[in-house]
Amino acid sequence: MTELETKIRAEAERLLTEHVVDVVIAFRQEDAPLHPQPAFFTRAEELESLTYNGLCANNLANYLTRYPQETRIGMVVRGCENRSVNALLVEKQHIRENLVLLGIPCEGILDWRRIVALTGENVLSVEEKDDSVIVHTHENTFELSRVELLHPSCQRCLHPNPISADVLLGEPKPEGDPTLMRLRIEELEKLTPTERNAWFKHEAERCIRCYACREACPMCYCTECFVDHTEPRWTESGVTPAGMQAWHIIRAFHQTGRCTSCGACERACPMDIQMTYLTDKLNLDMADAYQFEVGMDAETQPPFATLTLDDKNRFIAQGKRS
Amino acid sequence: MSTTPMKIALFQCRWCLYSPEDQAWVDNDLPENIHLVKVPCTGRIDPLFILNAVQGGADGVMISGCLPEKCHFKEGNLAARRQLAEFSQFLDYIGYAQDRVRFVWLDLQDRGRIQRELAAFESALEQLGPAQTLATRAPAATGGTHD
Repeated sequence: MTELETKIRAEAERLLTEHVVDVVIAFRQEDAPLHPQPAFFTRAEELESLTYNGLCANNLANYLTRYPQETRIGMVVRGCENRSVNALLVEKQHIRENLVLLGIPCEGILDWRRIVALTGENVLSVEEKDDSVIVHTHENTFELSRVELLHPSCQRCLHPNPISADVLLGEPKPEGDPTLMRLRIEELEKLTPTERNAWFKHEAERCIRCYACREACPMCYCTECFVDHTEPRWTESGVTPAGMQAWHIIRAFHQTGRCTSCGACERACPMDIQMTYLTDKLNLDMADAYQFEVGMDAETQPPFATLTLDDKNRFIAQGKRS
Repeated sequence: MSTTPMKIALFQCRWCLYSPEDQAWVDNDLPENIHLVKVPCTGRIDPLFILNAVQGGADGVMISGCLPEKCHFKEGNLAARRQLAEFSQFLDYIGYAQDRVRFVWLDLQDRGRIQRELAAFESALEQLGPAQTLATRAPAATGGTHD
């Protein structure tokens, strides 16, 4: 058990035994060493199985909307999860007073697919030591560099530290470099429209419409998604080019000013489809046009919800040009 | 110059044409290549509607609405402007040129402007040629889904 796990467990135990919260949302180690699962602890005795390591890939804020607002929730949050919680609070999906956020400065999530690609599938255990990751398999032991195993979204991460946690466990990490995300989008923007379209189609055409990205996303909490709506049917629901492209376009667009770039959608995707190049583009547009960054506090409404007549100047200038 | 006329989807706010002659022209005398979708306000236009038009093979999308401050519902057009302007940029990002989505914000004195705007848009589209990047849905007659 690592030092951080001990701290989390002690804090979670305190919250549960003192009845500060009804449930603690964290991770649990299961049989598969590469896949710790989200866990919901309601009694202190259950905390034995609580775990935390770089392989915890889910965005736990996803589970916030599955509880009634009266439920007092203790939650382990990293930087992106904290911002997702803030974005959900902006949308009145829970009450801040009913939340206890156990903040963890995040070192980035390890991409299990990269580990499997380098070591093979027979992984027995994974150990993290400073900047390296030691993977034991049936046959061998591998020592891998942590930076190379990071999930792409985590390599581009801007705010690894929780910004509004009630308890901060661990030392704050340095902030990320904002140019990394911008560079990637600008590189795509430099391509011709046909090339960008080819890139988009190449990603979208692998989709099997399992909606794992939607289920993993904390901001996709609609009770009925537009793709499940049958009367009227807004888009094709089969695995057709029109349906797959519409899903990717509209799913991303519904995240405008709401996505925290945590990358949970990409980690959940069984087809390894890239999606953050869509939402990152929308986030950058929001930052450029409205100086808005998602989840930096629990009050600021996203740009699409804060229209004012001040838009008039922008409105007419663009109207004349087009 | 192509021989087949460019297909245009025209989303029209029902309050934006102040002159009855213009409205009558749009309602009755639109050329066949222009598909009219009348909405109660531009704020009603979901990006999905535009995407459906684009996937259905529209070479261009024109959105006609009222000026800011003149919206029948006070701020519907402001909401539309923020969303749809961003959506057109987003479509551009994935390969549907931004010039193919055009906004026209009409005022009281803009009598007859909608005809001019449509004609100008059509000739601009002819320069661009037919849009093929996102047209994925088969026409209804050949088994595609209906609108």
